[in-house]
Amino acid sequence: MPHMEVDLDTRIPNNVNLKGDKRLLRALEHWQPQFIEWWKEMGPSDFNADSVYLRTAVGVGKGGWAHFDHVKMPDYRWGIFLAEPTDDRKIHFGDHVGDQAWDQVPGEMRNRLRRLIVTQGDTEPASVEQQRLLGHTAPSLYDMRSLFQVNAEEGRHLWAMVYLLHVFFGSDGRDEAEELLARRSGNADKPRILEAFNQPVETWLDFFCFTTFTDRDGKYQLASLAESGFSPLAYSTQFMLTEEAYHMQTGENGIGRIVHRTGELMREGTDPRKVGAIPFDIIQRYINFWASMSMDLFGGEDSTNAAEAFAMGLKGRYRESDGIYKDPKALGQNYKLSVPKNGGMTEQDVPLRRAMNSLLLDAYVADSTRIVNRWNRDLERLDMDVRISLPDKKFHRGQGVYAGYWFNPAGERITEEEWNAHRDDWLPTEADSAYVKTCMISVREPGKFANWISPPHQGTNEQPNDFDYVRFH
Amino acid sequence: MTKLVYVCDGGDCAEKGSVELFETLRAKLAEIDPKEQRLRLRKYPCFGGCEHGINITVWPDRVFYSKITANDLDDVVDNIERDAPRIERLCGHVKPDVEEILWQMLDSPY
Repeated sequence: MPHMEVDLDTRIPNNVNLKGDKRLLRALEHWQPQFIEWWKEMGPSDFNADSVYLRTAVGVGKGGWAHFDHVKMPDYRWGIFLAEPTDDRKIHFGDHVGDQAWDQVPGEMRNRLRRLIVTQGDTEPASVEQQRLLGHTAPSLYDMRSLFQVNAEEGRHLWAMVYLLHVFFGSDGRDEAEELLARRSGNADKPRILEAFNQPVETWLDFFCFTTFTDRDGKYQLASLAESGFSPLAYSTQFMLTEEAYHMQTGENGIGRIVHRTGELMREGTDPRKVGAIPFDIIQRYINFWASMSMDLFGGEDSTNAAEAFAMGLKGRYRESDGIYKDPKALGQNYKLSVPKNGGMTEQDVPLRRAMNSLLLDAYVADSTRIVNRWNRDLERLDMDVRISLPDKKFHRGQGVYAGYWFNPAGERITEEEWNAHRDDWLPTEADSAYVKTCMISVREPGKFANWISPPHQGTNEQPNDFDYVRFH
Repeated sequence: MTKLVYVCDGGDCAEKGSVELFETLRAKLAEIDPKEQRLRLRKYPCFGGCEHGINITVWPDRVFYSKITANDLDDVVDNIERDAPRIERLCGHVKPDVEEILWQMLDSPY
């Protein structure tokens, strides 16, 4: 593995010794202007001349990933940073458990690894494209900054995946890197790979749901790749997880602030709709939509692909290296999967390796439940009776064993007629979308917030809420 | 069985100093078990007990400590290392469901 010295003097800041590999440096410098062009065309619309208080990674050590300054977004220094390598790293799961981890791609795993990296990489620019117009309706400068921070870091995550493609996959990898900039979210001819990344993110309610639930899928996918026996992938994703945590916190706090604002208004007897705030039933429908779309990203609950990725040592279970699982080979055990049968449900034993996606989804559901409970504790403090809920993992699924069947948000199997009768109670309607859009007014005065969202408890990097997080050109 | 000690580094706990606390605890545990053969210290993104941070958990003992400061670390290490009784003043601050979700995630049947 390369030495982890940080080089901030080259056009591409890095800790992977790009200077020492001229061919790679040239290839990435060739890709860089294409990336900047993509950013200008598909990144945040109309704010490239403004200065944004952004955190830029200048290293992976303590404090190195959190250097704050006002910068114009096209001047943001997207770098390539891998987490500090571990001495004598061993593969700790699957068929190769105990073997030395790989610094190069084993030939027989090349195609599968490339697909994993491309699929992960594709989500990064996709989310930037989905969110590109939101700056125009930011509820505050604080939130506008958060949006641009998320966007810039998703761009850096794309760089991390492109680095792996260039270094380890030759001309195929370079072609894939170009394709990552050619696909477009929601485009009928060249869509992004995963469906949730083709959905429009038109409002800040969508954005906060996206960062809460869809970015959280990203956390679990990255966490499983961070266990990988292919060390460069593990080190790349370990550092990406540090930044991803901020994105999820943006969402979790964002929804929490919306819930709090609506709760406050209702407690004082004000109808949220009368003052441009968002009623609980709409918030719940958006959560139902984005949580269920995000659960689809985990893939089939019974998956031979997932079994093979685990067996090969490419993709582990959540926190596999912590040693919380009994058998690192995951052999000889079954996972009990509830599956539709006739008009009801039945339990099916799935060999554990084939249930890796299910295990990861279970961890995601527990994590998401924790967040929903946190919002509900705030409602309890506000003396509100209403509660937010997380839809069951069977609800509104387009992938896996529940796709094609009908379930209510509690996870009870229902008929298609019942679904049609209640669909608008459970998922956002056109009227919801139209109403939420009317709430989305731009607030650019420092320290002021739109009426549908509470201010945060504290500002970014210990700055006050009325700090000028964005300086307009 | 190896014990896992998790220090929350979620937003609220980090603002209360969990990053520094992690480093201090790491140094203390390294004195006892430098190769992590019995005690593994790890960061955890968020336990959900934010208002009672800094939070530290010990698995498989199912110990959930809250409101930890640097002054508590010697007692915590004592508890972890010597299986001394859990420190009651640091327990029971978060709601049971917050604890239960964490144990659900860690008590894997597999």
